[in-house]
Amino acid sequence: MDWIPYGPHAALVRFAGKIGDETFAQACAIRTELERNPPEGLLEFVPACTTVLLEFSAREVPSLDAAMPDILEQLQMAAAVALPPEPVKEISVIYDGQDLERVARAHNLTTAEVCRLHAEPVYKVYLLGFAPGFPYLGDLDTRLHTPRLATPRARVPAGSVAIGGQHTGIYTVDTPGGWNIIGHTPAKIFDTARRSPDNDEAMFLLKQGDRVKFVKSNRP
Amino acid sequence: MSAHLLEVIDAGLGATFQDRGRAGWRRFGVPPSGAMDDHAAGWANVLLDNPPTAPVVELLLQGAKFLALHDCWIAVCGADAGASVLMWRAVRLSAGEEIRFSRIRSGVWTYLAVEGGFDAPLLLGSASVYARGRLGTPLVRGDVLLRVPGAPFRLPASVAGRSVAWEERRNYDATPLLRVWPGPQWDSFSEADRAAFLEQTWTVTPQSDRVGYRLSGRPLAPGQWQMVSEPLRVGTVQVPEDGQPIVMMRDGPTVGGYPKIGVVDAHDVARLAQSRPGRSVKFRLAAQTAV
Repeated sequence: MDWIPYGPHAALVRFAGKIGDETFAQACAIRTELERNPPEGLLEFVPACTTVLLEFSAREVPSLDAAMPDILEQLQMAAAVALPPEPVKEISVIYDGQDLERVARAHNLTTAEVCRLHAEPVYKVYLLGFAPGFPYLGDLDTRLHTPRLATPRARVPAGSVAIGGQHTGIYTVDTPGGWNIIGHTPAKIFDTARRSPDNDEAMFLLKQGDRVKFVKSNRP
Repeated sequence: MSAHLLEVIDAGLGATFQDRGRAGWRRFGVPPSGAMDDHAAGWANVLLDNPPTAPVVELLLQGAKFLALHDCWIAVCGADAGASVLMWRAVRLSAGEEIRFSRIRSGVWTYLAVEGGFDAPLLLGSASVYARGRLGTPLVRGDVLLRVPGAPFRLPASVAGRSVAWEERRNYDATPLLRVWPGPQWDSFSEADRAAFLEQTWTVTPQSDRVGYRLSGRPLAPGQWQMVSEPLRVGTVQVPEDGQPIVMMRDGPTVGGYPKIGVVDAHDVARLAQSRPGRSVKFRLAAQTAV
């Protein structure tokens, strides 16, 4: 684990070289530690697959060089302890996406095989990004890795289940997008109506560190 | 006393509520949003004794038109969009009066504040509209803008003479010299490319918006192929395959997969924001580092 400055009062901590189960476990442990025991002066943190960005208050943390060694030690200790994995959340999918046949053809598979391979694994939520609550899920079966569209669509409906490169994900809002749409889910992954005054996090069905299993549904 | 202050007659090329942005939600994929030019937006609130967190209306370029439904104090700061009222000062509007922003002359973003602040819905702790992520919606014709309920109209008599000092009114037509800090991949760019990044004059392209400002110039060679996405900041300068830098702005994605040569100092992001397509910008290194 090491860190480099990312602007005057921010550090990019790098804790792994590539994605996988071990990296994911470390990412979860680091995020949990930052939530439970945030270092003094930490304003915001942004986890990615192998890195985490820490942004500090300039007043409370005048020198990153002075503060970071202790923080790295804290995160290293946290990352060494594996947390119990999150329970698996099931999300039902209707495999009726407009790109399903093209994805199948591109990999010499039938559409039924694409659905089976896609619904088989327990996926890890590596990060939320691109749009509010949009989960980057892995690890996708290598037989389904599919490049993004050369030209993104102007509008992809919320709920679309899609493949982008080595990840699969779920569109959370109607937005332009370039992932290959293989199905859709009725589940509302991001819903501004789903909250209580003291719990804005309830708007987000998934968070970094969650585990997800797709369940094939035949309802239209 | 009516809380109805202004009616939107025309939203022009774009009008949204913005404030200082939403902090703490980037790990859920939600960008900070907030006023693109926090300097001008801040002055509009200061002129009216508003708290710095008060929402303002951010106007893109030109075309917006409002009708005053009630006598009130307003302040307009930022881009010169041919406002029908004096800018950079507190202005008294009378009910029935119209304010128009007819033609852009300088800059990109104009800010309209009202005494006490607009009553705008909060989502994730902020009134800032993030249209692409469906957090809030842009203003449309017919919307009625309210003031914060219960806020007394009690500005001191001296408000009438208040204006922003000339040296605080920025010239958005000048080429800004943007302070930039080395980004996480600074060292993976060649010495020649780092020099080319800092020495040349970049042009702001029309593909620039609240998400990011794309620049064009002599292309850089991305030093390293970044396959795993890393977190982005407001001001992060990414260099995609074509070698033309993109500076991430307030509605930008929270992670990205291109090499990051630098990060524009938080104080200078507003200067870039007000640079219109076709205008030029330059970078200079903010701190001494081993080049």
